[in-house]
Amino acid sequence: MSDINELVERAFDYRGVVTLARRDGSRVVGYVYDRGPSYIELFDDNGGARLRVPIADLVGIEMTGEDCAARATQAWERRRGKLEPAATSIWGDWGQHPILVLTALHGELVSGTDASVIVRALGVGGGAAHVIAEQKPRVVISCGFAGGLDASATPDRVVLATAVREEIGDPIMAPEALRSAARDALFGLVVEGEIVCATRIAATPDAKRALARPGRLAVDLESWAIARAAQRAGIPWLAVRVVVDPFDVGLPAFACEPRASYFGPALRHALRGPAAARELVDLAQRARRARRTLGIAMRRIARVLAEVTP
Amino acid sequence: MGIPVGQMVAVTRYVVRQRLARRKRYPLVLMLEPLFRCNLACTGCGKIQYPSSLLKRHLTVEQCLAASDECGAPVVSVAGGEPLLHPQMPDIVKGLVERDRFVYLCTNALLLEEKLGQYKPDRHLSFSIHVDGPRGEHDRSVCREGVYDKATAAIRAALSRGFRVTTNTTLFEGADPVRMRKFFDDMMALGVEGMMISPGYSYEKAPDQEHFLRRERAHRLFARMLSAPHKTWRFNQSPLFLQFLMGKRDFECTPWGNPTYNLFGWQRPCYLLQDGYAQTFRELMEDTDWSKYGRASGNPRCQDCMVHCGFEPTAVDTTFRSVRALGATVASMATGRL
Repeated sequence: MSDINELVERAFDYRGVVTLARRDGSRVVGYVYDRGPSYIELFDDNGGARLRVPIADLVGIEMTGEDCAARATQAWERRRGKLEPAATSIWGDWGQHPILVLTALHGELVSGTDASVIVRALGVGGGAAHVIAEQKPRVVISCGFAGGLDASATPDRVVLATAVREEIGDPIMAPEALRSAARDALFGLVVEGEIVCATRIAATPDAKRALARPGRLAVDLESWAIARAAQRAGIPWLAVRVVVDPFDVGLPAFACEPRASYFGPALRHALRGPAAARELVDLAQRARRARRTLGIAMRRIARVLAEVTP
Repeated sequence: MGIPVGQMVAVTRYVVRQRLARRKRYPLVLMLEPLFRCNLACTGCGKIQYPSSLLKRHLTVEQCLAASDECGAPVVSVAGGEPLLHPQMPDIVKGLVERDRFVYLCTNALLLEEKLGQYKPDRHLSFSIHVDGPRGEHDRSVCREGVYDKATAAIRAALSRGFRVTTNTTLFEGADPVRMRKFFDDMMALGVEGMMISPGYSYEKAPDQEHFLRRERAHRLFARMLSAPHKTWRFNQSPLFLQFLMGKRDFECTPWGNPTYNLFGWQRPCYLLQDGYAQTFRELMEDTDWSKYGRASGNPRCQDCMVHCGFEPTAVDTTFRSVRALGATVASMATGRL
């Protein structure tokens, strides 16, 4: 026991991440900031949750992360006498990188966030990697409309992706810490599940049924490519979608092709008869509700991201 | 004296209230560290050496305001890290000012000009600019060229927009008293309200361990630097504390005088030492074994410490302990002599 107490003191003094080995075989990784006679307290590795672990549960402690105090001393010794140039960024290593919101179409653009949020419409061709490289964001959000794959996804609910996937292949899991912050921000408004990315708009209930699986909530065309680009750039990401066409509702044929303006085709569709006109009115109402929901969601997310990401 | 009368009256009223209530221990200044990340890597700083997962985090506005409410100190010194890197610092300052706290926002001023528009001048808000001496000394201290020039430009910009501006200066081994006297002249000529000076604390985790002042050398330096002070100099500190730095008075540390709150909680026992954390202010005050700290305790980490966060509260408390000390303070403030 005296050995473990000695290790506890070393871990407390250590300016780096440590790994605690517990009797049950599990491991806890984090930064130790305090200890008491019978416990050790740490921030988990994501700097998120505070944990208190009984010392009696521990069988070992390893200093597994870099010693930040030693690193600072080494850096100082290396440059001894030499100063950083005046041109060094006034932000240091903490430049004010924006939150990048990527949508497909201009019609989905969200206003009313703040200056630290940059919104870009990618168009149908994608190009997320290029925009991410250009903007150097701290967070990327795939945002916009989607089709519903589950009854819980409606124009009044935000679908927050737990993962995004193509129709075949492995899913890309959304970073947990960021998703948890977004979930809290969207309390009362959110449903969580997978978003599947199709190669074409799933316009009919049959097309949606073909894509539906347990846990899948929505289908879009962009989120997987955006998530992959963000993941490759090492930037945390979220996919936030609102369903315009629920699971059992189809879209008019003209809405299935990406266009610069839908006005002309919509007018032609409405002139086909009362049923078509009603279908169009319903679609417009759902799109308005979805846009409103998305606006509220993005404002809440931007506010909470300002707190959790520097 | 570089403290506005309104602030002096508010602090005096607070201290008198504590004494009338016979409170043995009370806080004077809350040291609020809302984040540890910084845009400089200063040679004598032991505050920022943490894993990036922690450096990315900061206290929320609500946590900061709750800490101030819990502590009740009339003055809040917002330190860090670099507070201006906190995305919600304007909200934190606004909330503290609304609570009638006197806020010293301690900054290296690199971002100040860019961020000034986010703040409103207020008698409760002062930007406390970190300047460790003349251009050469300061740039060496912060390990970057051009920082002195940026800081002085930011001071001018803040003053021109009606903000209160003070300076805070940490001194290390090798400081030249003659150059420092010229530096005090320069700062006063810039128009700052007052200056705050202190020897650096020998942080165990700081990169440069060679240049921390030992007690006797610190006394000699401050005695030479502050003897026959120029009439224009205004210090934002108690005259008794300055006399202590000069070796004219012997004080014991008051480690609870400037309690520190940061990501980990209430830091035990003081702003400089990290012996653990309390989760409430009450727990900090009541459960800390204060007898283990201060010079008289024999604690080796306290022997050379003369830092303002421990001794300024002693100086203020001493002022109100006897008519003689009060007289000495008033006389020094009136004549400018130390």
